[in-house]
Amino acid sequence: MPIALSRVDDRLVHGQVVIGWGRSLGISLIVLVDEGVAASAWEQDLYRMAVPAGVELRFATVAEAASHLDEWQGSPVRTMLLTGDVETMVALHRAAPAIVHKINLGGIHHRPGRRERLPYVYLTDDELHALEAVEASGAKVSAQDLPTTAPVALKALA
Amino acid sequence: MTGGWRALLRLMAVQGSWNYERMLGVGMGYAAEPLLEDLKTVDPVRHGEAVVRSAEFFNCNPNLAGLALGATARAEYEAVPGAQIARLRTALCSPLGALGDELFWAGLVTALMGLALVAVVLGAGWWAILGFLVTYNVVRLLTAVWALRTGLDAGMRVGSAIGTSWVPGAAARVGPVAGAAVGLALPLAAAWYLRGFGWTGAVGALAVAAVGAAVTRWFGPSLTSVRFALLAMGLLLFFRWMGL
Amino acid sequence: MTAIAPEAVLLLVVWGTLVALDLVSVPQAMISRPLVAGTVAGWLAGDVEAGLRVGALLELFALDVLPIGAVRYPDFGPAAVAGAALAAGAPWELGLGLSVGLALVLAVLGGWSLKQVRRWNARAIQRRAAALAAGESGAIRVLQYGGIARDAARGALLTGFGLLLAWALSRGVQLDRRTAVGLTLVAVGTALSAAAAGAVRSAGRGARLRWLAAGVAAGTLLAVLR
Repeated sequence: MPIALSRVDDRLVHGQVVIGWGRSLGISLIVLVDEGVAASAWEQDLYRMAVPAGVELRFATVAEAASHLDEWQGSPVRTMLLTGDVETMVALHRAAPAIVHKINLGGIHHRPGRRERLPYVYLTDDELHALEAVEASGAKVSAQDLPTTAPVALKALA
Repeated sequence: MTGGWRALLRLMAVQGSWNYERMLGVGMGYAAEPLLEDLKTVDPVRHGEAVVRSAEFFNCNPNLAGLALGATARAEYEAVPGAQIARLRTALCSPLGALGDELFWAGLVTALMGLALVAVVLGAGWWAILGFLVTYNVVRLLTAVWALRTGLDAGMRVGSAIGTSWVPGAAARVGPVAGAAVGLALPLAAAWYLRGFGWTGAVGALAVAAVGAAVTRWFGPSLTSVRFALLAMGLLLFFRWMGL
Repeated sequence: MTAIAPEAVLLLVVWGTLVALDLVSVPQAMISRPLVAGTVAGWLAGDVEAGLRVGALLELFALDVLPIGAVRYPDFGPAAVAGAALAAGAPWELGLGLSVGLALVLAVLGGWSLKQVRRWNARAIQRRAAALAAGESGAIRVLQYGGIARDAARGALLTGFGLLLAWALSRGVQLDRRTAVGLTLVAVGTALSAAAAGAVRSAGRGARLRWLAAGVAAGTLLAVLR
């Protein structure tokens, strides 16, 4: 399973991602899928700094990522897909339902219109419905901030 | 711009109103207040907008928060478009969180605590605790001063200032030290506690440790080490109460 | 906690409050580390050795916790204070198990209380959303002081409750020697497994893991030679 984790986290690359999941899953490639960051060189420089030596960070738009999913899945490099919002992850799932089939909600924070589902997961009703549709199509969605905390099923977030 | 020292002092409480909506946001706004004071007379409208931005969602390691605080304050004075400052703030959460956690929580604190435990076992007593507190606080205070100053100097170019600074290298180097220190502390602490209990006691405790390691690994996050400990103590009391 | 004077109890509550504040709010000087919190509490309760033993053991549990990115974690500070107070005045071999058991319960309760304070802080922000959107510095200050005050109240209550439990346990529970020693051994064993699990987890698979192994080897050698 070379794509070892598909995570939604609006803080993008940070301690939980790098130290928490990266270490315990032995991740050596993180693909950050975000339209805004993919177009901004100085932001990429900042995110690159957050990644420890030995781990590669790549930036991609949804379209670029979608065209590489097969390749990443087939390669022996343990990879993490990281998006900043639900919408992007849902788009990746649609592009390759068999590859992006297990989605981890790691941190989605308050914004107008979003409601608290867990201390670290706030979702609008639309975002929740989009994730429910993803589950209905056979994927598994759960919230879990760190490998050391218990996962919470999507059903419990409604 | 004045108010640097007051901002530094307020940064010590940057997590004072930690919450799940804005995380350090309000604390950052509180620390930014003295820095933004002069903007009030120069451009009151801009000052109001800057205050709003300063308290938005923010998250990073508190010891490096000064970099973001200083950089955004300077950008406000330089009249950088607000949307760009907001993007800088968001993007800074990432390296300041990851590098800071690596450097301090997973690195320095763990390393110093491992060494303090070793010193305690070797009989240093209060000196171990004093040494731990003094070393940690000297490093974090110097870091805080450096971070705020660097942020204020660099403004929007803070990214390259961090990249070329001592921080990434130190974050990478402190990890192995922390690993070695904790590794050193573990067997020494085990011997320190178990010495007086004879072979049966020591073997019993180490068996509990082995079972704990296996069981918490097997059950994963639903059985934390604290829960396992309470469970094991409860079982022991139950068996003793049954007369075993 | 055979005979702790009323003044000492007051000092313990003050110390527990400071230690609780230190964990997240202010000043994060690491007095909240159980080794520090416990040893000072032991000294206040008249038994430094007991405080040191309780604090160091809880420290092993705390090494399994990384406070990264807003995750929820136990609060070992006030727990170490109450644990050290309970252990004070008795041989540590007998008192350690029960004291650490009490402290672990309080640490979990402390983690829960931290979550509540964070929720209250969020609600306070919602109440002042309009003032924040208008850029009122006064509102930011009120929220900040409110957050610190809530955390201080949390720490005082938690420590007070912990000391009350410690007092009740010291009064109401008389363990025979075998049970007391058994509890201590279980506490030591589980603490060692916690610290080992935390060390391996944060070591990853690179250089840090090799250094950890080297440290364990050196530590074992040193322990055998001593």
